[in-house]
Amino acid sequence: MASSHNTHSETAKVEQILTEFFPKTLQIILESRSPCISSRNFSGDQVLCSPSSSSSSSSSMRPRDKWFNLALRECSATLENIDLWRPSYHEPMVIDVILVQREFGLDSVNASPRKDLVRNLSLKDKHPFSLNSDKEEFGCQTKSEKVVERWMVHYESRKNRDTNSGCRRSSNSTAHTYKKTILLLRSLYAFVRLLPAYKVFQDISSSGQIHPFTLVHRVSSFVEPFTRREEAEMQRFVFTPVDTSCGRLCLSVLYRASLSDISSEPSTPMSPQVIPEYVGSPLTDPLKRFPTLPVSIAPSHGSPSSLQFSRRHSWSYDHFRPSPPSVSFSPSPTYSESHALVSNPAFCRLPPSSLPPQPAEMAMGHKDNVNYDEYYPSPVFSPSPSLSPPIGIPVRRLPNGLLQSESAPQSAPIAKLPHSPALSSKPNLSPSSPLKASGPGIPLPAGSAIRKSFSLGRDESRRISGWRVSSNNSPISRSSSRSFPDDLDDPEFPCPFDVDEDEMTDRGSRPESFDQKGNICEMLEPGGFFPIRKSQDAAVGALVRMLQKAPPLRQDFTDPAADLVRPSTPDSPSRNPQQGTQISKSLGSKGRYAASSSITTSGLFVPKTTADALEELQSYREMKNLLLRQAGKTPI
Amino acid sequence: MNCEVCQLKELEVEQFEIREVLRCILHTIVFHRALGLVRPKDIDLELFDITYVQCGDVEVEKKIDEKIEQFINWVEKHPNKKSQICLSFYQEKNKQASWFTNKIERFYWEQWYINLHVAQHIKIHSAKTHPQKILVDPEENELEERSIRRTTLEASLREVLFQVIKFVNEKKDHVPAIPSPDCGVVIFPYEITIPSSSDSAFGMDMIKRMLQTGHPTMLS
Repeated sequence: MASSHNTHSETAKVEQILTEFFPKTLQIILESRSPCISSRNFSGDQVLCSPSSSSSSSSSMRPRDKWFNLALRECSATLENIDLWRPSYHEPMVIDVILVQREFGLDSVNASPRKDLVRNLSLKDKHPFSLNSDKEEFGCQTKSEKVVERWMVHYESRKNRDTNSGCRRSSNSTAHTYKKTILLLRSLYAFVRLLPAYKVFQDISSSGQIHPFTLVHRVSSFVEPFTRREEAEMQRFVFTPVDTSCGRLCLSVLYRASLSDISSEPSTPMSPQVIPEYVGSPLTDPLKRFPTLPVSIAPSHGSPSSLQFSRRHSWSYDHFRPSPPSVSFSPSPTYSESHALVSNPAFCRLPPSSLPPQPAEMAMGHKDNVNYDEYYPSPVFSPSPSLSPPIGIPVRRLPNGLLQSESAPQSAPIAKLPHSPALSSKPNLSPSSPLKASGPGIPLPAGSAIRKSFSLGRDESRRISGWRVSSNNSPISRSSSRSFPDDLDDPEFPCPFDVDEDEMTDRGSRPESFDQKGNICEMLEPGGFFPIRKSQDAAVGALVRMLQKAPPLRQDFTDPAADLVRPSTPDSPSRNPQQGTQISKSLGSKGRYAASSSITTSGLFVPKTTADALEELQSYREMKNLLLRQAGKTPI
Repeated sequence: MNCEVCQLKELEVEQFEIREVLRCILHTIVFHRALGLVRPKDIDLELFDITYVQCGDVEVEKKIDEKIEQFINWVEKHPNKKSQICLSFYQEKNKQASWFTNKIERFYWEQWYINLHVAQHIKIHSAKTHPQKILVDPEENELEERSIRRTTLEASLREVLFQVIKFVNEKKDHVPAIPSPDCGVVIFPYEITIPSSSDSAFGMDMIKRMLQTGHPTMLS
């Protein structure tokens, strides 16, 4: 019994290694090929820290860094999102590094026949992967594309033949496998820098000049075969496969030994022009281009906001992935997300829209409404009866110090969780009911209700939806956060099962993170405290002025609000910085009282109070004026 | 104990190139043997169009630079010689230490031989790469020769780096278990031996001689 349990956990560990191997490989390759992902854009010392002090300087050492003991630089959402489309490590990963040469007039031999295929491929080639082309691609009328490198990563499983004998080996084989993958990745890391394409990459990323060529990449799970002629021009390097207990991990590259024809060309400044329909371009219709992709991922501009969203939601997505049964044997937090997709057939059946809003989708939202509509009826919006949606807002946005309400103990762990994909796979988490509760089976009216109850700007609605994600996630987060300190460390195995606490610290330091105050205001505008503002701007101005001048009146005004705010915690202070919390609490408590009424009710209720106050004031004023006038007119 | 040996291709270098060439090779090897948590650092060579990777450990960098300086000093005293730098990885094992005796033994599990031919002012008199040029300024000619030589060396250096990577890829079984993350050590114990350096271990020289005569596992 015990031994079979061991075998299972060993297998799970190996699977975890395999699962992590793919994104790590991708990151290593793209970091040295894709100008926008490149670490070269950072100054070397900026994030350099002593590896030994890893956990304390969390902002520079993330959980994934610990995998394979290779800390790469902060990678963009691009790389983190690889899991989103990667169904499993059983599928190969093919990374094509393509040299795009801008030409005027002549299309090269390669370009035209390839285009269609490229477009098909692009379904795998979701936005972040072609992100780097955004900046560069608007440069010319025609271009030629040449695959200069093709990296292939695949796992050969020997399932059928000797599963029983093969998979049940001694436990140190896992450590052995891990060591070998580390070695493999080390050599890959050095190797990518020796290939000719690296020179091109350096040229592109180092100088401010506009080059007549650029590098783009394409990640897919199948190979578009080369022509014989193309293949003849290429050299192959096969990294020695790493044997695991159940198969072997192969990595190889086909590369052009010489790119001298390109790099020697003089780089000339070019006037920017737009390619209207370029592979991977966000301008092409994202929905059409991703017909079969389970996760509907669309290209987007790499705007800071979209990146932010991607980061934020990359983790929350994780929470929605039901873990496969085998996870329960795995002591590792970073258990394969992609594996989850495969091994849980129920989840595979989800329509594209049933996944939580993903970075890409979020980013897409600002492009057109359709996309937003596409994802809104997702589980994300399904009402979770135990939680009022707005509670997620302060939880996500406010620092812990501000959370003095009864929700604080819950929200603190939640706030720590974002972005840590590792958590998704906590063994204890996997079978937990919240996951299922948020599954596709739940009715979805709330999302649409919210959408309709406010006439939000798209940006606002996106934000709201984002917050709702977090609120819906919270039961999951809570359960997982409770469990993880217990089995976080597995001293026997050197895999990084550690989860960094970088998220809290990170968010503050992240440049794109929202100003909290601003957020609160924005958030409140649509359904919140000062809803009159939009419809009766002048009235609000008047009200504010009056409030300022009339202290007793102000007292009257705040009292009801305070009552709302503190239904159960009368000791909660009502100082200004806490306004947001209070407000949200009021929303939250209301939501809790009327489970499904959500924002709509509270949104209407609060404005009514203020409007009443204003009206009352005005009527009093009128009465006063009337009396005065009458007094003046009628001589006594 | 199984000790894998890699003889790296000989490079013909000039004195001023030694530092970069050695740094590049040594760091590349060390990076592949720094299996603890590292944050790699890309370094672009100044003399060559090559980027290599450092493991980012300050101590390692210091040690390598020291050894290189020592080697350069040695070369100055022994010009125009072929020389060898050996980077060895070992494990220390306590062999039933008794009182007063240091019984910590070193078991070498891997050795890398970097072969350098340090030449001063190599002149290629017969180089006629551009016969169409009728009048060539001798200085210009020399510059050209230099650049050709430089290009050749760059290619050879690249080859050596590939050789390192291939070796690392092919031979993995002899590498000891990864040091525990708790001990803060990122790299296996290693030593760099330069010709007749004062601190070179006697045993090392012996082993080196033995291995050199035998020409063991060389890469094809």
